[in-house]
Amino acid sequence: MNANDKPDAATLTPRQALWLDLMPFYIREAWLLDERKFRAWLDLFTDDVLYFMPRRKNVPRREAQRELTPLGDLAILEEDKRYLAMRVDRLDTGMAWAEDPPSRTRHLIGNLEAEPLDNGEVRARTAFLVYRSHLETDHQLLSGYREDVLRRVDGGWKVARRTIVLDANVLLDKNLSVFL
Amino acid sequence: MGTTRKHAVIDPATGKIDRGIFSDRAIYDEEMEKIFGRAWLMIGHESLVPGPDDYFHTYMGEDPVILTRDGQGRLHALLNMCRHRGNRVVRCDDGNAKRFMCAYHGWTYRNDGSLEHVPGKSEAYYDALDFASLGLIEAHVETYAGLIFATWAKDAPGLEAYLGDARWYLDTVFNRRDGGMQALGPTKWLEPANWKTMVDNCSDNYHVPTSHLSSAAVQSRFLGRPRLSHDDQFRSPNKHVFVNGHAITFRDADDNQPRYMHGVSTETMRLFEDYHRATTPEVERRLGTLRARRVQLGNHSIFPNGILGFRLALPRGPLKTEFWHFVLLERDAPEELKRVIRIGSQANNGAAGMFEQDDVDNWRQVTEASTSRFARRHKQDLSMGVGHAGPHPDYPGLVSERYISENNQRLFYMRWEQFMNADSWAGIPLDPIRARFDGTATMRG
Ligand code: FES
Ligand SMILES: [Fe+2]
Repeated sequence: MNANDKPDAATLTPRQALWLDLMPFYIREAWLLDERKFRAWLDLFTDDVLYFMPRRKNVPRREAQRELTPLGDLAILEEDKRYLAMRVDRLDTGMAWAEDPPSRTRHLIGNLEAEPLDNGEVRARTAFLVYRSHLETDHQLLSGYREDVLRRVDGGWKVARRTIVLDANVLLDKNLSVFL
Repeated sequence: MGTTRKHAVIDPATGKIDRGIFSDRAIYDEEMEKIFGRAWLMIGHESLVPGPDDYFHTYMGEDPVILTRDGQGRLHALLNMCRHRGNRVVRCDDGNAKRFMCAYHGWTYRNDGSLEHVPGKSEAYYDALDFASLGLIEAHVETYAGLIFATWAKDAPGLEAYLGDARWYLDTVFNRRDGGMQALGPTKWLEPANWKTMVDNCSDNYHVPTSHLSSAAVQSRFLGRPRLSHDDQFRSPNKHVFVNGHAITFRDADDNQPRYMHGVSTETMRLFEDYHRATTPEVERRLGTLRARRVQLGNHSIFPNGILGFRLALPRGPLKTEFWHFVLLERDAPEELKRVIRIGSQANNGAAGMFEQDDVDNWRQVTEASTSRFARRHKQDLSMGVGHAGPHPDYPGLVSERYISENNQRLFYMRWEQFMNADSWAGIPLDPIRARFDGTATMRG
């Protein structure tokens, strides 16, 4: 095997190494979601996770700090691990009608930027385009970004906090029953 | 009186209802005029515009409306339509502003709606423009316990008469505390369904054990919430009651239990119980013993488009509805209890809510079935419990014998007919207020 096939660790900055470490994590997460392996997906989150999707308002440009609703206001999602687990368990009942028959999704995750935090955790931002097709002709493109705090647990990464920001004011989809 | 029933869509004896009203464009257009152009519409809550010069952007039916509080603290509902050519003068969801400038040619309005400034008023208009007649179009506004209602109709009855005895029940949620409530939200999303189906669904407790079994089951498993079955629902002592178009369901039980709501779990039950006990004397003072101890408002709709509390079904054409989900919290409740209710509400209701996400395809397909000329020949069946409702010795309004009933839904469509067939408010009957409003609570809170 040619030595050039393998990136030389000595030439990577710590940031680059982190990027290379995280990108496969996000790609794997996307495949788990699109292949409906939701229990394995749930394992990617710490037990103390906060899974948060604020509302996004139309505000004047000079009041941009008001665009996203803060924690404590009504959010679209503000879930802990237990609520996420309920959502996953629900799908197995055969009567979770929003997802039975299930949506067909495609999660495209990119634009990764990652920075280490002082406490050993990592902050990572990614952009997503998620396509959802449901029943016969219902379909929706969900666009937005995630801001994650990741923690090393047993040698692997887990998401300890996820903030999901949709690029929408009035959601155009009939419901938000897929995971982002 | 004109007795021609142009719209005769429901047969009260059989509950058969014409599907055309869910998809017909001409009927929809007439609804916008005769229902949304006349009725008192819930448009906001005082806590959304708490201070002078605050505004909140809302809708009356399809019409964009700026809800403002002027410098003197007075509320206004202003059609968001510049009187020059019709551009919107507000494009933000909320904020604080003394005046609104139209982004087209710069006409500028004060937050009480009056026209303040027009570029070129002398140079281009020769000082001939009648400012006084060119303010933003203003709706009539009244409040009930912090909820803000507005109507375009100059001949509309007062809000108190409009709510009538429905308020006797609504008070048990909206008017419990001296400190009133605060609204958080909304989340907004578009549902491909006719607005009326969402509204009539508020009294449809029949669907809950089927539509929502998965969500109820995991919440029994994870949160220790009571199990949900058809049998439990059929045996429930709860009832339907109908007043003036408002469809109420309520719990009738003399056990002084806290109101069951999203957020209740084995761990949080104590919070709810403690709060219920601590506030009972205040609630008895405000609402009287019968209502404080025995009557609990359940799912309900406020005519025409208020859904389960302060939540709105905003019509966007016959086949589409924009849904706004808010949560209302008692302002003086402990912060931890408010947090639990807020999280329970958003986990179960709203676009991503576990309960609410399972409703949409049902409503959508009910609506779509109405578009087919063939399918439409076969009417909807709303016959459940025909003949099993009437006046009640203790409770105001038209009361059903059972909780699982389609009585309110039938009456909703009969109310719809009354609005659609009337030439003016004079032709729309209102039930007189008969209930005894014990306690100190009033329309104002
Ligand atoms: S449309 Fe508003 S100023 Fe002309
Ligand atoms: Fe439902």
